[in-house]
Amino acid sequence: MTDRDIFDKDLLAACISCGFCLPACPTYAMTQDERSSPRGRITLMRALETGRLDEDDPTLQEQSSFCLGCRACETVCPAGVQYGALLEQWRDHQWRGRHVPPAALALRTGMRAKPLIEAAGRIRGAAKPTGPARPDVEAHLMLGCAERAMFPQLSKAVLRLLPDAVDVPSGQGCCGALHAHNGDSRTAHRMAEELGEVMPGVILTTAGGCGAHVAQVLGRERVRELSEFLLQYWGEHPDRLPDLRRLTVDGRPVRAALQDSCHLRNGLHVTAEPRELIARVADYVELPSAGTCCGAAGTYSILRPEDSQRVLDIHLDEIEAADLDYLIVVNMPCQRQMINGLKRRGSKVRVLHLAELLASAL
Amino acid sequence: MSTQGTTSRLHSGPGLPADVLAELRGFVGDQHVLVHDGDVEPFSRDATPLFRARPDAVVLPATTAEVSAILALATRRGIPVTPRGAGSNLAAATIPEHGGIVLVLTRMNRVLEVSQGELLAVVQAGTTTATLADAAAAKGLLYAPDPGSRTVSTVAGNVAMCAGGLRGLKYGVTRNYVLGLEVVLPTGEVMRTGGRLWKDVAGYDLTRLLTGSEGTLAVITEITVGLLPMPATSSTGVAYFDNLSDAGRAVAQIIAQGTLPATLEFLDNRCVNAVEDYAQLGLDRQAGALLLFGDDGGPDVVAASLQRMADVCTDIGARGVTLAQDIAGSEALLYARRCSLPALARLAPITMLEDVTVPRPKLAEMVDTIDAITAKHDVTCATFGHAGDGNLHPTVVFDPGDGDARHRAEAAFDEIFHAAMALGGTITGEHGVGAAKRPWLAARLGPDQLALLKRIKTAFDPAGILNPGKLGS
Repeated sequence: MTDRDIFDKDLLAACISCGFCLPACPTYAMTQDERSSPRGRITLMRALETGRLDEDDPTLQEQSSFCLGCRACETVCPAGVQYGALLEQWRDHQWRGRHVPPAALALRTGMRAKPLIEAAGRIRGAAKPTGPARPDVEAHLMLGCAERAMFPQLSKAVLRLLPDAVDVPSGQGCCGALHAHNGDSRTAHRMAEELGEVMPGVILTTAGGCGAHVAQVLGRERVRELSEFLLQYWGEHPDRLPDLRRLTVDGRPVRAALQDSCHLRNGLHVTAEPRELIARVADYVELPSAGTCCGAAGTYSILRPEDSQRVLDIHLDEIEAADLDYLIVVNMPCQRQMINGLKRRGSKVRVLHLAELLASAL
Repeated sequence: MSTQGTTSRLHSGPGLPADVLAELRGFVGDQHVLVHDGDVEPFSRDATPLFRARPDAVVLPATTAEVSAILALATRRGIPVTPRGAGSNLAAATIPEHGGIVLVLTRMNRVLEVSQGELLAVVQAGTTTATLADAAAAKGLLYAPDPGSRTVSTVAGNVAMCAGGLRGLKYGVTRNYVLGLEVVLPTGEVMRTGGRLWKDVAGYDLTRLLTGSEGTLAVITEITVGLLPMPATSSTGVAYFDNLSDAGRAVAQIIAQGTLPATLEFLDNRCVNAVEDYAQLGLDRQAGALLLFGDDGGPDVVAASLQRMADVCTDIGARGVTLAQDIAGSEALLYARRCSLPALARLAPITMLEDVTVPRPKLAEMVDTIDAITAKHDVTCATFGHAGDGNLHPTVVFDPGDGDARHRAEAAFDEIFHAAMALGGTITGEHGVGAAKRPWLAARLGPDQLALLKRIKTAFDPAGILNPGKLGS
């Protein structure tokens, strides 16, 4: 059988099938089923590549979509398999024609409408674009697509934390991360490049998922996630470090925990920085599953709401047991996921983005 | 692999009969019987490179009663059954070479008991080794066997393969901790062997016979393991030698003077350089061998033990000796050993990790022999392993697209296995025989012992349905 060139040959060959990824995978944890493990999925990808299975096979369709794409498997892989890239290639091929999940198609189309995204940001009151990118700033703040419309307060909070250090270039669309994760990585690549042209130099992002995608296309050195940027910038410019007060509720220190963003943790390898910043203003609590996917997984919560909820429930149980005041997130989809989940449970825990938390301590 | 002996009477052909599938679905529920091509494909391989065979069906039972019903049916209808845990074994022991059913035990994954008073734990088959160890540690107890795959592998898989690990010299391997088993015979009978007793000599020691039986005699559904008090502390040191002979002499001297270290691991020069290329730890690239030594126990005992071992290494003429100052320092030293596999696996797409074992004094000679054989066959190989056990992991990497690389690797391993046996060693120390090492089993055991294995196999499995083609089939 000849290979079908669906996958990058070297990436697909790298897996040694040792199975070390199994315990890291949230869907394997749910099912204890090899089919829904990273190794099992790579075995399926290889069967697709060699033609032993074709794209009409229902298991291929199901597993390509059941995977959260969290990339936790990459962090424990002894062979350095780039699973996230393989998943994108798989979905590029798998999610075509009648195999595209309708919601994925709708999201892909919607987020390409730049004027609409810009209008939503204006109406919702996100940070105002400041015109063409300025060469004299430390970084350009990226507004995001859905973030601008759903959490407009995040970009404003960043500007309060970093007065004069960043600008907000006009003409920003979606970065394309959504497209990369939903079977259209070619468009995704182009969108990140377009964003890079609007924002030459360092791009500052408040979303781990967007950051990892933009870094993959433009290079890691072009991207700074908020927490790593703040620590670096304040470290280099102590005079710009604001006076952050320690937050209290009912006269006692706030108890706050972090929910990692998977692509921030597993893609950009930023883990210590958000924890350090939270600890500056609150009593930091490490949740047992802080580093595992919350089930938002970009658009997964829209495409597979029931599975997303099963993944989320583990986190909600831990949050309720930890006697928290705030749960801190560093990625927009996680924020939406956690707000909805905690609301459904009637929890009093507030969900805040790191930018909001720090801005509230000014 | 040829079909032989009792396996020739087995069902073969595409798919299982409809009435068999209907019965299986009745036992475990529709969603736990997989038959479609895509559904069974992921179960066509384990962690062993180059071995693959697609089963006709995959069945995932949740209870011992379900396992019993499945096996009784399989014996009645002559359907091959290959038991599987997490599929992390390196001997192709879970490859269904004769098709039939792959029986996956991962849904049975509960820790049933950890007893401080009795120093034991009871777990279901599919519990991972790390889950068992963590449950024991939460009560201040140690589950000593620590195979490299411990986060992935299941306890039943460890027992079936008699898994080893890094602590073998001081603590032994899986077989030393299995007190009792609940197993299902291929004919469906549920049986308990051994129990909760450290002393029990009533009957043949079936618990030991089943340990390492590689899923050919019975399906393990529950395991009772012995635990130890958790050592108060541990520490590690590293020594570099000009060559492996010196490292081998240091190992012999350490043991001869009465120390039984918890850790005694070595990396050869190629392995040191691969690790250094990968992780930049500041290792001595010129060294012929790196020896990691460590011990656990009370703080004073550990400190004295580490100093004694360091002194031996210095006396032998080590190029350099370093003792870790704290836990973090120990972890940093052990990291060199831990990244051996990652470092080597990144060199080429195929990584063949073998595990010949020789008497401890022959360690250096065996490594030299491996170097000579792999050089002769133009094969890229690095060796690391458990020096205290004489257990070597010669690791060959190659690109399957590179002409006859695979055949050169296989030819080299054939010579390596025979060389190990000639030194009084064995073809596998801890990975198992499976399908991968089956061609060399006769040479290792001899005709009389192999014939006895076949008679034992028939006594347990008259229809020859369990993991056909492996061990005594």
